[in-house]
Amino acid sequence: MALEDPRATSPPDEVPTPHRDTDPARLVGDERLPCGRLVSHVWEQARAGSHRPDPHTADCTYCRQATEGLTVLDATTRTLRAQRPSARTVADRVVSAVRAEARLGRMLPLDDPTQELRIAEATVAKALRRAADRVPGVRAASCRLTPGEAGTHVTITMTLAVTLDQPLPGRATQVRRAVADASAREIGLAVSGIDLHIESELEPLTSVGPTSRNGTGP
Amino acid sequence: MDVEHEGFSSPRGAEPPPFTGAARPGEPGAGLGDVADRILVARAAEGDDDAFAVLVHRHSGRLLALAFHMLGNVPDAEEAVQDAFLSAWRRLPQFRGDAAFRTWMYRIVTNRCLNVRRAQTPSLALDAVAEPAAHDAGGEPARAAESTAATAALAQALTHLRPGQRACWILRELHGLPYGEIAQVVGESEQTVRGRLFRARRTLMKEMASWR
Repeated sequence: MALEDPRATSPPDEVPTPHRDTDPARLVGDERLPCGRLVSHVWEQARAGSHRPDPHTADCTYCRQATEGLTVLDATTRTLRAQRPSARTVADRVVSAVRAEARLGRMLPLDDPTQELRIAEATVAKALRRAADRVPGVRAASCRLTPGEAGTHVTITMTLAVTLDQPLPGRATQVRRAVADASAREIGLAVSGIDLHIESELEPLTSVGPTSRNGTGP
Repeated sequence: MDVEHEGFSSPRGAEPPPFTGAARPGEPGAGLGDVADRILVARAAEGDDDAFAVLVHRHSGRLLALAFHMLGNVPDAEEAVQDAFLSAWRRLPQFRGDAAFRTWMYRIVTNRCLNVRRAQTPSLALDAVAEPAAHDAGGEPARAAESTAATAALAQALTHLRPGQRACWILRELHGLPYGEIAQVVGESEQTVRGRLFRARRTLMKEMASWR
């Protein structure tokens, strides 16, 4: 990545070549010095340093003037880049504000004989995603709930990202079971169907194991 | 290296701990730290605040740095970032995912910073952040002090740039964004971005020429 490069701020696609000097999109506003060189070209040469010695620039006053301040700007830019205030406070403040401003969605009927109990869609979706997340190699994305016409049953539509290291049908069965189980035991929701859509591959780079949230913590 | 963090690491390890986006153990959102933005965005759009919390922790560092360099002080920068995230939380159900979440957030924060009306020149509170000078100049105090002064001079010079130029320069030189993404963030053509970068660099070089 360019930022780690000791040549600092020169983007990799700005390496000067004679053909590209005429590319109008390259550096808009670029200027040609009285000696005939383009300012951007002289900058790149200066950054390349001794790797590309050029007898012209060594003696040319215009070129020298055009690069005055470049080295110190590049070095100071690196220092400025490292100046980052801690974001912990603002992140915590944002998260508290967001939790206080819950977006609950519509109210869904619970599987209750009196048909009087309702639960917020976002709350159910969160619990069901968590259940899917507990299946190794699976992370839930969207989870939508559609109440049936009869009133007490809902259809669950969930999109998943999964690692491709096991056959998908078996994985899907595991997720279906986990979601059905959570609906019945954790929430008390009557489910008429579970539609699963596997939408993307989950990178298996780290151990994407089940999330451990229930009862195993201190 | 997590792709999400590409382009925002400082050289020579003078950096605060990386933003992994992982929730602290035991918190809601634990186990989502390794999940890609677009999955978290899908969850957060449906009101999953745990998923949004992971996004906030993952991106707040770079966004605060952007606002800090745009505005020149920490309190204003924090306010801009906080407003931007709350606005994003409210607008997420309409977010269609045309751009990456990172680009979208950069855009919201940049706009906030450009809209902060300031009666006076931005105050500089550079001493309000951890000073990374210990990593500079090979431990020579005099050179370290000079480097600190030069950095303050550059931060000051930034405030003299036109806001649009300042935004482009910060996004390119401090955040390493590609031209195309900067164009999306500032809502201008790539041509305009390149022009602004050229002029910004020229002006800053002139201002820094006395520091050798």
